[in-house]
Amino acid sequence: MTSPASRILIIIPAYNEQSNIHNTLREIWALASLNLDVIVIDDGSTDATAQEARSSGARVISLPFNLGIGGAVQTGLQFACERGYDIAVQVDGDGQHYVSYLKAIITPVLNEQADMSIGSRFMPRQEKGYRSSFARRLGIGFFARLIGVLTGCHVYDPTSGFRAYNKKMIKLFARRYPHDFPEPEAIVLARKFGATIKELPVVMRRRQGGASSIRYFKSMYYMMKVTFAILLDMLKSRRLAVDYGD
Amino acid sequence: MGIKWLAFILSLSIFLFVIELVRRERLTFKYAAGWLMAAFLAVFFSVFHKCLFAIAKFCGFELPSNFIFFALLCAFVFLGLLLTVFLCQQNDRNDRMAKKIGILEFELRELRKKISRKD
Repeated sequence: MTSPASRILIIIPAYNEQSNIHNTLREIWALASLNLDVIVIDDGSTDATAQEARSSGARVISLPFNLGIGGAVQTGLQFACERGYDIAVQVDGDGQHYVSYLKAIITPVLNEQADMSIGSRFMPRQEKGYRSSFARRLGIGFFARLIGVLTGCHVYDPTSGFRAYNKKMIKLFARRYPHDFPEPEAIVLARKFGATIKELPVVMRRRQGGASSIRYFKSMYYMMKVTFAILLDMLKSRRLAVDYGD
Repeated sequence: MGIKWLAFILSLSIFLFVIELVRRERLTFKYAAGWLMAAFLAVFFSVFHKCLFAIAKFCGFELPSNFIFFALLCAFVFLGLLLTVFLCQQNDRNDRMAKKIGILEFELRELRKKISRKD
């Protein structure tokens, strides 16, 4: 079992989230029972996201330009890897995730029951919160089935960004993490390396302010791009998957 | 002026222009090598055009001009693909540098804080 004194890092990728970041951080600070470090990855925001996060007491890594969610999360994972954290948890900066579920997300990774845990909105018989639009739910269902067929691991909510990783996953993803819309691809990559994945029911809410980066035609692009990317990921060798970009 | 002279002057001009770009350091030799090779082949075939006609005939082309257009098209498709690969490499390097800069800037900020606290 991972030691109770395990070092845990919360990674919050944020792009133009000045209106949400303060509340997200306030909720995390309120979890006094958990010994957590927090790092906000300001993904080249053009608003005052970084200043808001710093004034709320968070440590902030500011990227010189916008890399997208994948680049921002990977920066956090590289930081976690360099600083020797045992567990990294990804929490969106838009306020969609109830941080009260943090403990539930971390526990399976902490107890070595899983290499990676995912907070899911779509598990059977779970409490319903915000579950996205009908069209998006169809897309999420499609990815769940596709990933299930290709990897033999059924994940109900493959697009959820509420995740915890152990040291093995931190090391892997610090070297190789998908870009653009990375969550479903990251599951495929993790499975390719034999990772065990556990899903836990969580309730999410609508984003608290600002606008989602995936809208209208971008949703169609998302569907096609991620489908192709997942299929191509399956063709890559394990060695290439890690050596890529080196 | 015959078409052969025109082809010769044009290909020689491209060859000399590429050399001039390398000399002025606007092109590095690594990326100029392909262009120099292409320009050299163009000069060669404009002088020894019978070689070009023989290759065209060997490849089954009725007219040598069709062969030239086909070869050029293939070369540009290949060049386009190579440029895309190069663009992806540069993009990946930029992304990695941006992440590194972000982390280094953060560490610098933390070090400055530590130093100012000591002072």
